[in-house]
Amino acid sequence: MTAASGDSQADRWGVLLAAAQLGDADAYRAFLNAIIPFVRAIARRRCWSEDMAENVVQDALLTVHRVRHTYQPGRPVAPWIAAIVTRRSIDAARKRGRIGRQEVFNEVAYETFADPRANEPLEADASRTLAQMVGGLSRGQREAIELVKLREMSLAEASEFSGQSVASLKVNIHRAMKKLRISLPKEPPE
Amino acid sequence: MTVSPIDKIINELASDVGPVRPLRAPALRALLAIAAIGLAAAFAIVVLGDVSGLRNRYAGREALLALEMLAMLSTGVLAIVAAFVVSIPGRSKRWIAAPIPFLALWLLFSGLGCYDDLVRRGGVGWELGESIHCLRFVAATSAVFGPLLIWRLARAKPINPLPVALLGGLGIAATSVLVLQFFHPFAVTFIDLAVHLVAIMIVVGVVGLVNRRALAPA
Repeated sequence: MTAASGDSQADRWGVLLAAAQLGDADAYRAFLNAIIPFVRAIARRRCWSEDMAENVVQDALLTVHRVRHTYQPGRPVAPWIAAIVTRRSIDAARKRGRIGRQEVFNEVAYETFADPRANEPLEADASRTLAQMVGGLSRGQREAIELVKLREMSLAEASEFSGQSVASLKVNIHRAMKKLRISLPKEPPE
Repeated sequence: MTVSPIDKIINELASDVGPVRPLRAPALRALLAIAAIGLAAAFAIVVLGDVSGLRNRYAGREALLALEMLAMLSTGVLAIVAAFVVSIPGRSKRWIAAPIPFLALWLLFSGLGCYDDLVRRGGVGWELGESIHCLRFVAATSAVFGPLLIWRLARAKPINPLPVALLGGLGIAATSVLVLQFFHPFAVTFIDLAVHLVAIMIVVGVVGLVNRRALAPA
């Protein structure tokens, strides 16, 4: 891309964004589609994995939407977009750093044996513990946990399936999680 | 054909787009906020301030007073303008440093004034008792100006709210200390200067701490 073509492309983005500020949905869709390669290029430069870069692209698009009123028509649009993507990349890196600091890698937790049958007693123990923990829940709580958490249904789907309202599903999940947390064994398994 | 997550987001955002009014130039928005704060401060000074007392305290040192107050004013104005500018994505980050030279000049001129006062009056005025009123005054004035400025800054939903909050806090604190000069019952001593600095740090710190909550960042 030459400097001149880049400038004219950025000018076009500016025109589309100015039209989007007036509520033109087609111009906005064209603007967002047009800037994706630019956004992705910045995100990839600043992120160390493709997954992280894609998350940053999505986050940057949402931010562009929320702050689209801060673009002043007639001003260069590329630095405006670049600043948003850069900030979201920094935020993503910090978030990852925070998660990394809070989560501890436990070698023992991942230790297993080559022969799958050797792991069976441990798996049986885990299943028994889980069954006991879930057994301590009320029928409604058990149903809510099973449908939403284990079978990954949406709240609406679970509500339709079980006949419980969305609000009572939420309450049951909250109470069940609290009960499960309390009944978790205090010591991690050796 | 499956729709990628990005295409899905674009479709949702495009269908959700409504007209928005673009923000005016940050410098213009800053000047409007400064004008509102300036009017309120001028009203308070005219109605409640002690301008003749200020003149008497600085008799024979008018030039130093003028330089000190000019440095305070410049720090406040530039900090507020910088806060508005950096709240907009893509604007130069050099604005963050804009008030710093004037802050240094303010401390220099205030320090000179304090030294002059120390030479004239000896150790009088070292007590902390009176200076606590300054701290209360700066905190109270900032509590009046702060919400107005933060409300205006929050319009931009700054993507990086911390520098915006810190600059805004400095602007508010500098303006409050400037107004304080018209209510100060005595010439500024080193203890006063230290208390003023503590008051500024408290205001900047508080605004910095509440940046995410107060500025509604995107």
